[in-house]
Amino acid sequence: MNAIACDIDAWNAPHRPRLLRGVRPQPRAKVNPRKDIAPASGVRHAELIAAVSERADRDAFAELFEHFAPRVKSYMLRLGAAPEAAEELAQEALLTVWRKAASFDPSRAAASTWIFTIARNLHIDALRRTRPPPAEDPADTPAGPATPDALVAAGQDEARLRQAIATLSHEQAEVIRLSFYADQPHAEIAVALGLPLGTVKSRLRLAMGRLRTLLGDQA
Amino acid sequence: MSPTQHPAEATLVDYAAGTCDAGRTLVIAAHVAACPACRQAVRLAEAVGGVLLGDLEPTPMGAGALDAVLARLDDPLRPDPRPPAQRPDWIAVPPPVLEAARRRKRWAAPGVWVAPITRGPGRRSSYLLRVGAGMAMPRHTHQGVETILVLKGAYEDRGVLYGPGDLAENDETVDHRPQVTREGECVCLVNAEAPLTPLDWVGRLFQPFVGI
Ligand SMILES: [Zn+2]
Repeated sequence: MNAIACDIDAWNAPHRPRLLRGVRPQPRAKVNPRKDIAPASGVRHAELIAAVSERADRDAFAELFEHFAPRVKSYMLRLGAAPEAAEELAQEALLTVWRKAASFDPSRAAASTWIFTIARNLHIDALRRTRPPPAEDPADTPAGPATPDALVAAGQDEARLRQAIATLSHEQAEVIRLSFYADQPHAEIAVALGLPLGTVKSRLRLAMGRLRTLLGDQA
Repeated sequence: MSPTQHPAEATLVDYAAGTCDAGRTLVIAAHVAACPACRQAVRLAEAVGGVLLGDLEPTPMGAGALDAVLARLDDPLRPDPRPPAQRPDWIAVPPPVLEAARRRKRWAAPGVWVAPITRGPGRRSSYLLRVGAGMAMPRHTHQGVETILVLKGAYEDRGVLYGPGDLAENDETVDHRPQVTREGECVCLVNAEAPLTPLDWVGRLFQPFVGI
């Protein structure tokens, strides 16, 4: 990835050789990838990524793939990708999850957030791909093994945010959903909802502010 | 020092959602990198994107997709590309901006250079713009939104001083004549949805040479 969208560390990271495969840290605790618990939760996904990072666990990867690849594909389709390109980008996104698992830091982002940003960055880079893409994002600093607490905390953050979104008014939730997964500029969203553009933008601002307040209150 | 002029929240959400085009993404990314407040807003929006991703109706992957990816897991990786060095006199910018400054700079008028970065879709383009100390841009307005970020120096526009990291979003409701401060040159990263519209004869004369 050429890392337009990711943060500043990415642009400044010193050049360094990638870790050789096979020198990963020894496993800490065993996750049983196939012993599935109810709906795939944020905690579960964070544990699976840790399993990939720490011992190249292919079963854990397969479970992540089965959950996220079809959703990333839907995201790409909504961003306007052709079906073949959407399929390819979804595969690429999950391959990136495998390769960069060591840089997943649950104290920074939930598993779903992390995978969402990987997919989004691939989409942005695909938009401007006028030359062969460089192999890898030089960004990624290995995060080190995640503690079980951090994995749980990441999952809880995601659950709290999910709850907060559920408390938004119908209008606010709708404008957020359309902003993310309709690939329409706000001007078109405004037309679709029969609202002035300014109203759409201020509704979005209020919705994000409300989420901020709700999350702050619970912190 | 943190920037004082920020993109609209709706712009940050679009940026986080991946619905901005590539040129606009470059400009917002450089502001966000320089701005702790916007970084926080983007992180929240990305978390929302992650939650909503989980709610999307899945689209079945092609037959054998998982096997195809499993087969590639151990492919050797090409070495990381060496990122170009940041310029010490600018705020930090994504690599494509540095490449443009190195390779595609062209003098457009006395005291002015432009370096194109991305072109399209449609009439959109992004570019670097350097304007010398104390110079004023010809009076102009915009079609669509222009997103402009100061990388170095400062300019004044309708009573507001824009310094390094500050970002403005100008549209067709804006009629202005930004002026670079006397202290030194000003370098900006710009994304425009359409070429700007000169409002006086100086501008009409100026535009063909500058190509923005
Ligand atoms: Zn800001």
